[in-house]
Amino acid sequence: MNFLSQFAHGAAEAATEVTEAAHETAASNDLFTALGIDWRLLILQIVAFLVLVALLGKFVYPWLMKSVDARQDGIEAAAKATAEAQKAAEENKDVVAALLAEARKEANDIVGTAKLESAELVSASEKKAQKVAERIVADAHDQLNKDVANARKVLYNDTLELVGLATEKVIKTKLDKKTDSDLIASVVKAAK
Amino acid sequence: MPGRLSRRSIAQYIATGLVEGKSKTVLLQQLAGFLVDTRRTKEIDLIVRDIEFNLAEKGYVQATITSAFDLSAETKKALEAFVKQETNATQVSLSSLIDESVLGGVKIAVPGREIDQTVAHQLTVLKTRFKKA
Repeated sequence: MNFLSQFAHGAAEAATEVTEAAHETAASNDLFTALGIDWRLLILQIVAFLVLVALLGKFVYPWLMKSVDARQDGIEAAAKATAEAQKAAEENKDVVAALLAEARKEANDIVGTAKLESAELVSASEKKAQKVAERIVADAHDQLNKDVANARKVLYNDTLELVGLATEKVIKTKLDKKTDSDLIASVVKAAK
Repeated sequence: MPGRLSRRSIAQYIATGLVEGKSKTVLLQQLAGFLVDTRRTKEIDLIVRDIEFNLAEKGYVQATITSAFDLSAETKKALEAFVKQETNATQVSLSSLIDESVLGGVKIAVPGREIDQTVAHQLTVLKTRFKKA
């Protein structure tokens, strides 16, 4: 803002000096002519420049400076906020550390509990598996006993059949009329 | 036309005739004639069984003895005495039957009863009674 004001002020002074110089040099028109300068055009250009400077100073520069100031304020506010945030972060560092420590402790507790529970689960599974295995073994024993009993029964019946057949064969060869008569006599005697 | 004569009546007539001492030949001829005439020859086995029953009721028992060997007179006598004792019969008539499949021992069949003391029967009993299910 100051720079622009100074610039405008300087420009005005320059214009005044140019005007005075114009007055001074009016007498010496010959010099301008000799240099190829149209003093009227020069004055017009100076006036136009001054008007332009005045317009810029009145309308553009304030707005420009305002936006620059606003931007500067924003940057300063951001810097301030950053500083505050940094400060707050510094302040919260201990709290965060404490929270982290607590979180670590909780995590350790959770891991410990999980390990314990998993161990219990494994133990329970082992017990269950053992129970199932024992049951399977018991069933197998039962089945085996049943099979053995059945096999014994079959063997017994087969033996009985064989004994019957063998007895029949032996009797067929050994029994004669005399022994048969004795047998009948003993049967009758027993029946009496 | 007279009604159909029952098997029991026929058997009773024949049995009574036999007990009274009528001629067996005459009675048999009468029975054969009657059965042929009435076309009841198929009933002959049943009628004979009924006659045996009738005779048994009257004290005359017809016993069939089955054995593997021919029986001696002594054995037959013993068996006759045994049948008499068992059936309370006054007179016992034995008819012998030889069947080698019985192996040994004797089977006595009287009307309504059978005493099987053959070796084959004993073996069958051994094989069936002591067999485990």
